[in-house]
Amino acid sequence: MTALLLVLVGCAGGLFGALMGVGGGLVIIPVLTHVVGLRFSQGVAISLAAIIVSSSASSASYVEKGIADIRTGVVLELATVAGAIAASALAPYVPLPALLVLFAAVAWYTALASWRRRGHGGEGMAAGEYPVRRWGTGLAMSFGAGAASGLIGVGGGFLKVPAMSLVMGLPFKVATATSNFMIGVTAAASAYVYAARGELELSVAAPTVVGVYAGARLGSALLPRIPSARLQGAFAAVLALIGLRVALDAWGLVR
Amino acid sequence: MRRTVALVLLAGTATGVGLCAAATALFAAGSGLAPRVALWGVLALFVTPPLRLAAVAHGFAAERRPRLALAALAVLGVLLFVGARAVAGRL
Repeated sequence: MTALLLVLVGCAGGLFGALMGVGGGLVIIPVLTHVVGLRFSQGVAISLAAIIVSSSASSASYVEKGIADIRTGVVLELATVAGAIAASALAPYVPLPALLVLFAAVAWYTALASWRRRGHGGEGMAAGEYPVRRWGTGLAMSFGAGAASGLIGVGGGFLKVPAMSLVMGLPFKVATATSNFMIGVTAAASAYVYAARGELELSVAAPTVVGVYAGARLGSALLPRIPSARLQGAFAAVLALIGLRVALDAWGLVR
Repeated sequence: MRRTVALVLLAGTATGVGLCAAATALFAAGSGLAPRVALWGVLALFVTPPLRLAAVAHGFAAERRPRLALAALAVLGVLLFVGARAVAGRL
């Protein structure tokens, strides 16, 4: 019964991740901690493994169909990794609650910007068929996504998708596909650390990743059929929720 | 390059998820083999991102785009370093 619940939760997380370009942690972690009874750190470890599966399964399809922009993704990955390294070096010296408030503010701001600009950028899905602009701001936001990943254990998709779609001029679907392509690498770095600490509960992880795979494959098949404006509206709502979650974390109200 | 990268991603996830599905059935049956099969499944999933980076670097190198190949290799280097440090901390 629990295994079936985990497969279903994983499926929801994978579907959500494949369509939005963010990790499915928002869906998976609360169920693992509040329903299954895992510690928060164990929930994060399984969520990170789920992000690897969701990213790999969906981007296999996005790469083959030419929706993921590999060139932009690789360049932004460099900035993300630099941000994660800087964050892990500076983590002992920075006031974490203040940073969390900053991340929450950024999430809400980008939620508002995404909502206002939904429908802009059209339905384009061909990687490379647009001028990529404002590389500096995009790289800075990816650096921030890496720092967020290093400090609070998220995939960083909530910053990468707006960086690419709102700032750099990539069509929204290309941005979510490219974010999916990237977040598996970001999540892998954190997943290694959590797994080496013995936080990965295999009996829970196994059914969860099976569900995530199914959800991610379904999501990557659905993405081309859903209008961009609808996806952008849903993404704005998800960003607002992530902002709320991070703000509650800042005040110590969740964990 | 796209085909190779997609194949690497698909092969890695299919292997890992296949083993995890088998482990789920073994856990349900109460088999002692289940944790070992699940561990192999998770390991297959964990090596997929570095393999994908290697495939991307190789693809860009073959297309004579050395700076993009170097970017992918740099990210791969950092990922391998983090993985090695995590494992070393465990030993």
